[in-house]
Amino acid sequence: MPRLRALAASFRHQATMFIAEPQWLIPNIIAPFIFTMVVLMLFKEPGPDALLYAVLGGGMMGMWGNTLYASGFSIQSDRWWGTSDAIFGAPSPLIWIIGGRTLWNALVGILNGLFVLVVVVLAFQMPFQVNDLPLFVLSFVTTLLSLAALGMLFSAAFVLTRSAQVMTNGLEFPIYVGTGTMFPIALLPLWTSPLSLALAPTWGIDAIRYAAIFDYDQGLWAGFWGDMLAMCVLSIVYLLVSVWLYKIVDKKARETASLTRY
Amino acid sequence: METVNNPIRVFWSSAVLAKKALFAWLNPAMWITQLFFMSIFQMAFFVYVALFVNNDEISVAYVAIGNALQSLASVSIFAVCNLTGEEKQQGTIENLLVSPANRFSVFVGRAMFQIANGIATVVIAFFYAAFVFNVDFSQADLVSLAVVILVTTFAMTGFGLMLSSLGLFLRTSMIIANIFLFIGLLVCGVNFPVSYLPTWLQPLSYAIPMTYGTEAARMAVDGASLADISGLVGLEALVGFIVLIVGYFMFRAFEHLARSRGTLDKF
Repeated sequence: MPRLRALAASFRHQATMFIAEPQWLIPNIIAPFIFTMVVLMLFKEPGPDALLYAVLGGGMMGMWGNTLYASGFSIQSDRWWGTSDAIFGAPSPLIWIIGGRTLWNALVGILNGLFVLVVVVLAFQMPFQVNDLPLFVLSFVTTLLSLAALGMLFSAAFVLTRSAQVMTNGLEFPIYVGTGTMFPIALLPLWTSPLSLALAPTWGIDAIRYAAIFDYDQGLWAGFWGDMLAMCVLSIVYLLVSVWLYKIVDKKARETASLTRY
Repeated sequence: METVNNPIRVFWSSAVLAKKALFAWLNPAMWITQLFFMSIFQMAFFVYVALFVNNDEISVAYVAIGNALQSLASVSIFAVCNLTGEEKQQGTIENLLVSPANRFSVFVGRAMFQIANGIATVVIAFFYAAFVFNVDFSQADLVSLAVVILVTTFAMTGFGLMLSSLGLFLRTSMIIANIFLFIGLLVCGVNFPVSYLPTWLQPLSYAIPMTYGTEAARMAVDGASLADISGLVGLEALVGFIVLIVGYFMFRAFEHLARSRGTLDKF
């Protein structure tokens, strides 16, 4: 229970920080919005399926941008503000504190993704019709949680480095490419397939497309429920590895006394 | 006092300090990793999108060359634009602004390392275009291409400095930096011709030096000589010079505004 209390407190704290400075939502919206617009301009005269394909990719990019930046910057900000020692000094394991923050960021990520969806739909006056709404909502939320799990995995590394901000910037495009947010991963070189398939959001975006696009025929072999299963299994693996990594990181950060260096 | 007021000395010491400050927190290995990996993934993203979209007018070479030059933005726009914001966060902006040192020399000096960084980033990105995405450089006029890279880097750094003046007044320069980091992908002819854009948006394209740079770079890769691209490069240099001058006056105006409203150290 104390751990859950730490999780809840951390969630509340992150919410308060966000409300104090909601402008942080903007940078995470700009990039996916612009990328979506670029893709739609490349289509020149996009049909309804192309529009939906790009918009769904943009929504996922919005969610990933938020998760990644929030996890990278939350650690970096602790360094700047001098609060990292207090967090490490608390009896609750670090992962529960980061977990609370990640949950809040995931919640904001939904807004982020929806914002991109709504703005592009309005800009292109596109009737937003999805194939199966309940499955679409289920896959959308599950994909967001899988992105959060991936963010947790990366954020463990951010604790150890003073260059969390640089790493954060560097991880944005590889995930967009590797997961095929805007194109089928079959276009990528064959040797990259195992890497793409090891990323839970790859299955997530495919599941979203299955649920949203009528007669979607460019999907992975697993189908909607296979995608969902693969995404959930991988996300659980990420979380388990995160728990293990956070234990190591916690110990190493104390030993090297590098926690407050920035 | 005379030494402090010597603009060239201030410029040089500011440039040296900026480099030292960067590597005080950034591990050189991390910097090199960033240098080599940032551009390839951005380029790959848009190249694969172009392959998927299969628009007859947009080739892989078109997108790869555009993105190779645009990779400069993470340095010349994002890093330079954040100069003022970083001073705020580190609590050094007041010390800097109460000193009698010439503002122009201080901030242009601070951006100098990013020019070297930008040139290296773009050169590496062009290597990726050639060797990873198989863009044909057999006809390329490398002197023209080198001049385009050089002029674009200077001009875009001037643009970044202009944007950084906003950071003096706003709570954070990060939002402006993010907007202009990516907007070039949409409006500067990086991924598709400017003519695809709505007419009302096209003037913005031509107010950003990158638009001239991408066009000139494609011409240079196709074999255009320095004389062939001189008009475009000259326009780009002119726009770069104008934004630098506008930036200086914006800097003074926002400094005045921030002082009078007491928002200088608010972040």
